[in-house]
Amino acid sequence: MRGGKPCLEARSLAVAMGDTVVEPAPLKPTSEPTPGPSGNNGGSLLSVITEGVGELSVIDPEVAQKACQEVLEKVKLLHGGVAISSRGTPLELVNGDGVDSEIRCLDDPPSQIREEEDEMGATVASGTAKGARRRRQNNSAKQSWLLRLFESKLFDISMAISYLYNSKEPGVQAYIGNRLFCFRNEDVDFYLPQLLNMYIHMDEDVGDAIKPYIVHRCRQSINFSLQCALLLGAYSSDMHISTQRHSRGTKLRKLILSDELKPAHRKRELPSLSPAPDTGLSPSKRTHQRSKSDATASISLSSNLKRTASNPKVENEDEPVRLAPEREFIKSLMAIGKRLATLPTKEQKTQRLISELSLLNHKLPARVWLPTAAFDHHVVRVPHTQAVVLNSKDKAPYLIYVEVLECENFDTTNVPARIPENRIRSTRSVENLPECGITHEQRAGSFSTVPNYDNDDEAWSVDDIGELQVELPEVHTNSCDNISQFSVDSITSQESKEPVFIAAGDIRRRLSEQLAHTPTAFKRDPEDPSAVALKEPWQEKVRRIREGSPYGHLPNWRLLSVIVKCGDDLRQELLAFQVLKQLQSIWEQERVPLWIKPYKILVISADSGMIEPVVNAVSIHQVKKQSQLSLLDYFLQEHGSYTTEAFLSAQRNFVQSCAGYCLVCYLLQVKDRHNGNILLDAEGHIIHIDFGFILSSSPRNLGFETSAFKLTTEFVDVMGGLDGDMFNYYKMLMLQGLIAARKHMDKVVQIVEIMQQGSQLPCFHGSSTIRNLKERFHMSMTEEQLQLLVEQMVDGSMRSITTKLYDGFQYLTNGIM
Amino acid sequence: MAQVEKRGGLLRKSSAYKKPLKEKVVLMYDEIFMTEDPSKCSPRFWEELFLMKVNLEYLEGKLESLDGEELMKIKENINCLFQHCIQALGEEHPIRVVNALQTLCALIRGVHQKNKSTSGFDIINMLMGFDKAELCMKNLMESLDSLLCAEGSESLKSLCLKLLLCLVTVTDNISQNTILEYVMINSIFEAILQILSHPPSRREHGYDAVVLLALLVNYRKYESVNPYIVKLSIVDDEATLNGMGLVIAQALSEYNRQYKDKEEEHQGGFFSALTNMVGSMFIADAHEKISVQTNEAILLALYEAVHLNRNFITVLAQSHPEMGLVTTPVSPAPATPATPLGTTPPSSDVISSVELPLDADVQTSNLLITFLKYSSIVMQDTKDEHRLHSGKLCLIILTCIAEDQYANAFLHDDNMNFRVNLHRMPMRHRKKAADKNLPCRPLVCAVLDLMVEFIVTHMMKEFPMDLYVRCIQVVHKLLCYQKKCRVRLHYTWRELWSALINLLKFLMSNETVLLAKHNIFTLALMIVNLFNMFITYGDTFLPTPSSYDELYYEIIRMHQSFDNLYSMVLRLSTNAGQWKEAASKVTHALVNIRAIINHFNPKIESYAAVNHISQLSEEQVLEVVRANYDTLTLKLQDGLDQYERYSEQHKEAAFFKELVRSISTNVRRNLAFHTLSQEVLLKEFSTIS
Repeated sequence: MRGGKPCLEARSLAVAMGDTVVEPAPLKPTSEPTPGPSGNNGGSLLSVITEGVGELSVIDPEVAQKACQEVLEKVKLLHGGVAISSRGTPLELVNGDGVDSEIRCLDDPPSQIREEEDEMGATVASGTAKGARRRRQNNSAKQSWLLRLFESKLFDISMAISYLYNSKEPGVQAYIGNRLFCFRNEDVDFYLPQLLNMYIHMDEDVGDAIKPYIVHRCRQSINFSLQCALLLGAYSSDMHISTQRHSRGTKLRKLILSDELKPAHRKRELPSLSPAPDTGLSPSKRTHQRSKSDATASISLSSNLKRTASNPKVENEDEPVRLAPEREFIKSLMAIGKRLATLPTKEQKTQRLISELSLLNHKLPARVWLPTAAFDHHVVRVPHTQAVVLNSKDKAPYLIYVEVLECENFDTTNVPARIPENRIRSTRSVENLPECGITHEQRAGSFSTVPNYDNDDEAWSVDDIGELQVELPEVHTNSCDNISQFSVDSITSQESKEPVFIAAGDIRRRLSEQLAHTPTAFKRDPEDPSAVALKEPWQEKVRRIREGSPYGHLPNWRLLSVIVKCGDDLRQELLAFQVLKQLQSIWEQERVPLWIKPYKILVISADSGMIEPVVNAVSIHQVKKQSQLSLLDYFLQEHGSYTTEAFLSAQRNFVQSCAGYCLVCYLLQVKDRHNGNILLDAEGHIIHIDFGFILSSSPRNLGFETSAFKLTTEFVDVMGGLDGDMFNYYKMLMLQGLIAARKHMDKVVQIVEIMQQGSQLPCFHGSSTIRNLKERFHMSMTEEQLQLLVEQMVDGSMRSITTKLYDGFQYLTNGIM
Repeated sequence: MAQVEKRGGLLRKSSAYKKPLKEKVVLMYDEIFMTEDPSKCSPRFWEELFLMKVNLEYLEGKLESLDGEELMKIKENINCLFQHCIQALGEEHPIRVVNALQTLCALIRGVHQKNKSTSGFDIINMLMGFDKAELCMKNLMESLDSLLCAEGSESLKSLCLKLLLCLVTVTDNISQNTILEYVMINSIFEAILQILSHPPSRREHGYDAVVLLALLVNYRKYESVNPYIVKLSIVDDEATLNGMGLVIAQALSEYNRQYKDKEEEHQGGFFSALTNMVGSMFIADAHEKISVQTNEAILLALYEAVHLNRNFITVLAQSHPEMGLVTTPVSPAPATPATPLGTTPPSSDVISSVELPLDADVQTSNLLITFLKYSSIVMQDTKDEHRLHSGKLCLIILTCIAEDQYANAFLHDDNMNFRVNLHRMPMRHRKKAADKNLPCRPLVCAVLDLMVEFIVTHMMKEFPMDLYVRCIQVVHKLLCYQKKCRVRLHYTWRELWSALINLLKFLMSNETVLLAKHNIFTLALMIVNLFNMFITYGDTFLPTPSSYDELYYEIIRMHQSFDNLYSMVLRLSTNAGQWKEAASKVTHALVNIRAIINHFNPKIESYAAVNHISQLSEEQVLEVVRANYDTLTLKLQDGLDQYERYSEQHKEAAFFKELVRSISTNVRRNLAFHTLSQEVLLKEFSTIS
């Protein structure tokens, strides 16, 4: 354990001060002159510093206390200086376009800075160069501590965000705003919801501090622009239309959407460089009027989503607004969801979905992408027949698979040319099946022939045949050779050659063996169309779709999937994602082998969004309904008997994930935990989904689910029973996880706290959301007490009849097992 | 010319002369029918002529009334008229263009009706003169092409298509229509494609365009290189192909709808009270009424598209949700008895009625589903020649589909499940299956259902041997695909097996009657080989091990039929008769089925004896089967999964010639110029000028 307890306590205190909780404060500096904003500021500064100290774990508490007081005094002096200097800086950034490129990262030479304090002002981000110089003139001697902190290696994005949020000093805020440029893009991206929410809902100074960075990033990345625009829209939606603040978020959103932030020097490859597979087989030029097809008329894809494949010139001449195609793409996906919701049965929804998507395909490829993906790409095709409608009572979320071509840079790479759906046939080119089919000879080889027993049973495995018909026409030439050896003209010529005999028993055996070897697929159920699709192993699905795709042969072909949610607010999901991600990295950092799977969320508006599906996972409800087995028996069926390696590792995975999610459920108070909301993946992990009820909200307030988390006897059975080693391991993991989480509580709480600003989300209902959240970390308990607490919670959940009751309730109302 | 007079009278209602006045245009026609050049005395004769409302009946009648020699006398004037018509097509004022188009129609029809026996060259000479024919036709085709492609009036385009259809169908045998040589040289293919790819024009003229294309493709198909065939085979523009698919789908579903309406009409009436027997008789009667309307032209277009164009296969699976999306107020189209079918599309109202407003009951459909439903209706009754042709064509199309790799891929796609309501013939011994309870299954199940349905319902004296062979071939081709790609279809194969066995039984019980007309052994061989597919390759495509057991159970249960078949083919193959060779093939093919029967029957008997059971239950038989597989040895027959690919050129040429002839006649008969009444056009163009 590196972090000392006193430091943690100090931090908790400091943050608690912001929450106006009066507590006896052993570390509270007595010399503080005014308890108002500056005190608050000082508190958070203190916390930041102590955290840094804690991580270094060199300084003992007493020394830390002294240091803190020292810092506080210096800060008081510093405030004046920074306040003076900060006026000019944001303006400079906004106006000067060229500034962006000159910004240098401060992370590289921090040691130098400490050595040569005189140079410090110059090395501050060049955007603030003037201000910093002035600052140096005024306070060159007094500023060192705060700047030291800001410029130290320990000053990470989490601290920056917390500083930005807690500090009421415009100077500090402006400084942090500039400092943002120095963090890695990915690190800042994680806090994008927080940044934007602060921009929208906090005072002007914070906004001014953040804006330059946002604008800069928007210029760089189209994906960032989109995310910003969507989040700004979504987080502004809770405000009154008339408010001034509202217009700030909206203004920025408009600016981003207006295309003014398009990079000036954007070059696109010459169209001639792109391969043109559309080589004019078409006899007529007149027929190139794809945009006028019926699909355009019926689906409201505007001409912005103009296909460029057949005519790349069009795009270059009147380039549409940069984000327009993507927004149209999203809009049409949402429109499909809305239309699906009007249909009464799953079956009709599925059919409609498939046909709607097939129309959407006519518009692809286009300059569109899936924001949930981790790499640059262009969407080229939606394999419409693979799409499924997910289980939902009144809305129509659906899962689509999307074929994309990975590219270096989304902006500069040309949109791939369209390959007609039927073009796959030319690559397959095995039209003449009968001539090249499996011949007598091969058949005999694959069977154990009676006269000449051949052991080559697997010679004709399923994979071979798959390749044979799709990819490898050469193999066919071989088989054709075989034909030439034996006359195909069977019956009349049969007498001339040795008859081949096969045992009927072999055929029957082979049939049952082959069926046994195929991974247990779920049965098709019209009421639950997604079960089959989700059960299919991802790799298998990728292979299958790739084979059937006209783009499948391209080396940069990738398959993505996404759940489109229409009519659902995903802002809470996004919050949960962030918390999970934070916990995951905390546990990773602290080397606690807890397993959780945060899945990406794209908030599109306050009532729509996209979710990155968890692959190779089906809900426990589906597992139980399809297999009609207990969870343990299902594990045995899927992974093998108790002693097998596969079962043991699946069991370990189950325990680690179970412990992880139990903690998540406890800390976030995740409710609505029925079996439809818990997935089981192919490796035995459980994954909780649907964070619609967290923190202060719970479904219909029926008072169900009072237990800390969901732990049924079935779960315990999989872990090997209450007395098993695995169950103890489970409890031990929980304890370690809780201790680790507690150590980094601020990083978790901060995410939630900032999002509470200006939010009407039900999870923030009431005034005690944050306080209760903090209380669940039990900062004051000793590790022994914590262990007891874990025991109690496990015990309580085990005995809790409410879990069982709730499952029964769900079964009655929603048919979820 | 009573009608003409009546018209003349109508024009001048005020003056009721005894000897009615002739229209001005009629007088002008009369001048043309003089030997002298009509422009001699009035230089503006031709200009004026095309301002006159055309009197089709008069012009056509007059031409018809002249015999060959008389016609030759006025050849110069007719040539002149023809040329001026073509000139007028380039005129700015649409009235002239309309009149010219109509006059051309009348000319072409009139000259042909007179010259039925004469050669095509004479007709060309008569209309245009040999020396100018090439230029003349070039100009004509170019004008039509530009009219069709321009952003002009829709009714004008419609008239252009009518003229083209008139030109194409003017002879019974399309290949003898020598003028079409010029249509081959001066292609209007691109214009047709454009109409199909452009939604508004497709909605208006799609039907005519598709029929025209289907006919043009059939011009001297087997003798020469037809550019339309070449071009159609390489079209890959999706919008065009989809447009074509939509036109065909709409025409077929319109037929399906009409049929359903009629069916419901009958069922709703007092007939419901009658017995099934009588009811079915009457419904069969009703079918014949509809059967007149089977749309062979559109079916031919579908065939040509599927057969010639590889890319069209994808269109079959293309679903058309927009049918449900577009919210057009549905005005139930009144039945138009004046235009039963033929060239006039089932009126634009009807087409839009397919595009129902968003409705939960409207299933998204695709061309293939519509086609399968259509086939199920058409195949119900194959008694009259038209329906026989249609049924045969349906099966040929299905054969082409069953051979296609891509089509098979989506037929068997487990993710594309549909509920296909096939029409089933009401029969005495079975109830009409409830439509609602149909499961959603991959499309291939519907195809197999259709085939099974055909097999069970056509065992009759007038045995449609040819259709049966095709039907079994379709099943065989689907099985070959399943075997090759290891598709394990969850289909109730038992229905197919028992249908096949029943068919065998029928063949044997009617041996003498059938043998007089058909070689029943080819069919028997195909059926037996289907069983051989299941027996020796069942492991590759059967859904469950128990389905393999069921196969054996079914064979054992029906062993009498196989025994009888064996003794029959053995008898005929030992005789030195006509059927020796054919029958001996069947005896060889039966070897495994006989091995199964001979292997299991004693085992079952002894099981019954040991357990003192007189009648074994199915479960007991299956138990015996399962216990005794290992001692059974089967002979591997080769070539079971091979089939001969469909080829039109040699085997089907006669059928298609006959079919195209009947379509031509039909289209010609229904070419209705008066549907485009001049009043409508006048109204339209008066606002333009």
